[in-house]
Amino acid sequence: MSSLNALKPLTALDNFSQAAHGVLVTEVTDLAIVSMAIPAETNDAFNKAIKKSYKVERPEVGTFSQSKTDNARFLGLQQDQMFLMFDYTSDRAVEEVSAKINGSEQLSYLCDQSDSWVTLRISGENCLEALERICPLDIDPIVFPVGSVARTSMEHMATIIIHESEGSYLLLSLRSFAHSFLHAVTTSVKNIT
Amino acid sequence: MSQVNRLNSGNVHTAINREKTVSFKFNGQTFQGYEGDTLASALLANGQVLVGRSFKYHRPRGIFTAGSEEPNALVHLRAGAHQEPNARATVAELFNGLVATSQNHRGPLKYDLMAINDLMSPFLSAGFYYKTFMWPKVFWEKLYEPVIRHAAGLGEISKLDDPDIYDKGFLHCDILIIGAGPTGIAAALAAGQAGSRVILADEDFQMGGRLNSETYEVAGVSGSQWASDAIATLEAMDNVRLLKRTTIVGTYDHGIYSAVERKTDHLLQSDGKPRQVLWKIYSKHAILSAGAIERPITFPNNDRPGVMMAGAVRSYVNRWDVTPGQAVSVFTNNDDGWRTATDLAEKGIKIAAVVDTRSIEPLAKFPGAHIEMGTQVVDTTGRHGLKTIILSNGKIIDTDCLAVSGGWNPNVHLSCHHRGIPTWNTDLHAFVPGNDLPAEMYVAGAANGDLSLATAMQSGHAIANKLAKALGHKGRVKACAKAEDESTANSDFWFVKTDTKARSWVDFQNDVTSKDIVLAQQEGFNSVEHVKRYTTLGMATDQGKTSNLPAMAVMADNAGKTIPELGTTIFRPPYTPVSISTWAGRSRGKEFRPTRLTPSHQYAEKQGAEFVEVGAWMRAQWTPKPGETHWRQTVDREVTQTRNSVGMCDVSTLGKIDIQGKDAGEFLNRIYCNTFSTLKVGMVRYGLMLREDGIAMDDGTTARLTETQYVMTTTTANAVNVFRHMEFCRQCLWPDLDVHLISATEQFAQYSVAGPNARKLLQKVVDKEHDISNEGFPFMACGEISVCGGTPARLFRISFSGELAYEIAVPTRYGVAMMEALMEAGKEFDSVVYGTEALGVMRIEKGHAAGNELNGQTTAHNLGMGRMVSKKKDSIGNMLSERPEMVQDDANRLVGFTPVDKSKSLNAGMHFVTIGNEPNTENDEGWMTSVAFSPSLGHSVGIGYIKRGHERMGEKVTAFNALQNNTIEVEIVSAHFIDPKGERLRV
Repeated sequence: MSSLNALKPLTALDNFSQAAHGVLVTEVTDLAIVSMAIPAETNDAFNKAIKKSYKVERPEVGTFSQSKTDNARFLGLQQDQMFLMFDYTSDRAVEEVSAKINGSEQLSYLCDQSDSWVTLRISGENCLEALERICPLDIDPIVFPVGSVARTSMEHMATIIIHESEGSYLLLSLRSFAHSFLHAVTTSVKNIT
Repeated sequence: MSQVNRLNSGNVHTAINREKTVSFKFNGQTFQGYEGDTLASALLANGQVLVGRSFKYHRPRGIFTAGSEEPNALVHLRAGAHQEPNARATVAELFNGLVATSQNHRGPLKYDLMAINDLMSPFLSAGFYYKTFMWPKVFWEKLYEPVIRHAAGLGEISKLDDPDIYDKGFLHCDILIIGAGPTGIAAALAAGQAGSRVILADEDFQMGGRLNSETYEVAGVSGSQWASDAIATLEAMDNVRLLKRTTIVGTYDHGIYSAVERKTDHLLQSDGKPRQVLWKIYSKHAILSAGAIERPITFPNNDRPGVMMAGAVRSYVNRWDVTPGQAVSVFTNNDDGWRTATDLAEKGIKIAAVVDTRSIEPLAKFPGAHIEMGTQVVDTTGRHGLKTIILSNGKIIDTDCLAVSGGWNPNVHLSCHHRGIPTWNTDLHAFVPGNDLPAEMYVAGAANGDLSLATAMQSGHAIANKLAKALGHKGRVKACAKAEDESTANSDFWFVKTDTKARSWVDFQNDVTSKDIVLAQQEGFNSVEHVKRYTTLGMATDQGKTSNLPAMAVMADNAGKTIPELGTTIFRPPYTPVSISTWAGRSRGKEFRPTRLTPSHQYAEKQGAEFVEVGAWMRAQWTPKPGETHWRQTVDREVTQTRNSVGMCDVSTLGKIDIQGKDAGEFLNRIYCNTFSTLKVGMVRYGLMLREDGIAMDDGTTARLTETQYVMTTTTANAVNVFRHMEFCRQCLWPDLDVHLISATEQFAQYSVAGPNARKLLQKVVDKEHDISNEGFPFMACGEISVCGGTPARLFRISFSGELAYEIAVPTRYGVAMMEALMEAGKEFDSVVYGTEALGVMRIEKGHAAGNELNGQTTAHNLGMGRMVSKKKDSIGNMLSERPEMVQDDANRLVGFTPVDKSKSLNAGMHFVTIGNEPNTENDEGWMTSVAFSPSLGHSVGIGYIKRGHERMGEKVTAFNALQNNTIEVEIVSAHFIDPKGERLRV
């Protein structure tokens, strides 16, 4: 053990929260993200494994599957890759997932992405009005219902948008962009007319 | 004078709210208007006929139209930094406190000194400056052009920063309906009822289009009432979005339209909200229902204030309760013109005359009015406002307003943005949209030539219904409302032919006369496009909306052709002027692009670091200490402390790519020119990546963490490009390989710890169970470790500085804490945080290549790494790197340079020539890529490429700085200025 004190973690935006103009913007800091790449030959076995451990079907690309276990959401981002997002605040997310999914390391390739992203929750009656200023995707609930997920770009910053519940969206952008991303979102809220 | 031209109340069509009086200023004078007025309607209500001066001749000009096609009534709106030039008074919504001023005149508007230009008009015809101001040549830029520009022109910008806020956004719909007139509303009702997602956009602040300006009945009520009710119905539909004050300005690919919504232009204060929003609208289908624009008849002195479009006169009377004159005349070639006289007479306005070019029976009679059939207006009088019109039969009629109607032109503008060519309609005597419309655009109503109200509404309804059904929307669609089917009979009378010297104005905004057009043709400009450019016809803010067709008529007549034989110009975005600020939106100043902050940014900021932009990254360049007055002092100290003891640098910006899969090693073999499948777990290897053409693409180290997992580092600049390249290779070139990629750049705070005391420092940080001794963790080793009591970390023993060095990576959340821990642990070693400048100095001292050396022109051979290109395997660029020109013996080679006179400085970009040779392209032997002052050596050093450099050690050559035009002598040396044997790395 090192003689130095344990390292103190910082959130990307110091737990930012703001309610204004009918929109609540909050930094989400209690979620871990693990990338799961699934080789073609283990597809079926992997699907069975997550059904057994998390009681969910593997999501289609563009949707997420919600599990009651750890509030886990499997985000279908591309054919052979998902993000697993779940309630967890410590720094060994891969081990946590490996412990949950039997044989996960043989069935998939995992990579901790928890610190790669800053996550904002945007909700409230005017949140769509704010998002239409920066989100090029059609996120009207008719075409982007609860359970949808998509990659896009907002103000030149790579973003994953998740329609997690009615009137509430999660926005993930790269952590190094956190301040610029927050500025883009709060400016959009401020500019609602 | 208070609203002398405002009609008595009681008009059922009116759109003004007499309960709300609005005060505004025009040229310093205070006027009153009503809520619902435009600036133009309020000025007319107050008898302000003269509103501006013309572009070239400074002729007095008045309000000509009631819409965005207005060529004359251009004003400055607001004042100071908020001033907006060239605003059309006809679409400027009146608000309390509005300040407007007329533009383009010297002295008072009524007595413009520059009106002298009008007397000089014989010398100022089309193309006059091309012919006149040719000698002496030097005078053009210094005298002629400034004077001409000063004398001519439209409004003036404030020359101050625009203090308003602008924004942009994205909207999506099934059907975009452009124009909320009767056609658009009918279409929106049908599509909305069917269940389609509809956006209905209109440039006006009151939807309804011509229904607000006419007295037609729809479904048994007044058209304006029906429009108002229909808009309320649409507003209540969840699937319909109404965008008033919104102009669709451009048609782009894939059903994308741009739109400008004027959010707060109608308010005195925007209260921190965006003034305008530029929308990008994605539509599956679009219905263009932009209506039609009335065209004038050209006749001598037709530009006097008081000469207006007939439809506009109806608008002012019906919509705004304003009469533009007390004795109004009508000059028409069609039935619609008569409607103006009828509407005005019903409001009790005196009709002085109706002059119809057609020899037909009069359509109506008006008490006291001259009804002149088969007659033309051949001249007018009245300097600052119309006084009389002179007819072809010799009659002179007193009148203060002449309503002119030459027929209606379908508004084809947006249908042309994909180079669609309008086609001629012989019944309408006008162009209508052709068959080459933008994909999924449909044209309905008057915009398509369906000029009567009933046919227009039916066409909008039918198209929308059809599109909605095709989209699978099955809601019950009600029948289209019944409307009048009024007469649209017209004729092709375009202009009055006279032999007088009086000028007939074709393009009011650019002061182009019919004589100018004839002159242009006489001078050989026969193409309509050439005439346009030679005369400036159809340019500026109105883009010829009222002038193009009348001008073509003059051209066709002069050329002995028909208008369709002559051809037409087409339109491109924007439909109406858009301010630069609106295009920019919020992307101004520092908001032009986002910035990325490193994991230790907060720490560096606290220490007072100076930051440098590296792409989007903000990196600490150096951190001055008290007493240091020059950056070199700081950088020299950072280098010296690192080389003498230990220093830390945030290198998190380097790209980090996590590569996993059973075939990860094989994948890297193909990506890199050297071999990686043989790399042992727990070790790192330097790799060089080539492009397909054999040129060096990127370099970096790759660590093997497990049998199936590697972590690659890329240069900061190429992180994205390399990842994209690898994804392309994975997905498209070798989809059979089991390999998976994900960026881990953001996941880790990664710090270089360099210097002879690096290990000692790290041993205080790394948890004791991990052996990082030289034997346990040798040069180029890597591994998963923990620090500070269990925090997971990765350690790599690699060196960019040439010192004993490591890179330690922890999850980004610990970035600040890790740097603080390293500095705490390093106190006893006098450790230092060094920035990118010191990083650069040390890598140059060590002779390591970076972006300057991998500039897209150089090969492994040039870099002295030719032997790294393994011939035991294939890799991208391998084959083409063997081309003879790429591996020739006298190729440029990367070497070091020192000044012969050590007191001299080197400059990057210097070119080398043999001593005694002229420094020119022919004698060029290479160039200096990177230089630095080496505090370790006490003089300037550089690395660069020179022919056969590796064979010329000790040779002196001339280095030429073309920018400063000086030369110095340099000596070719090894690029490894520090520790050429690499002993420090391995201790």
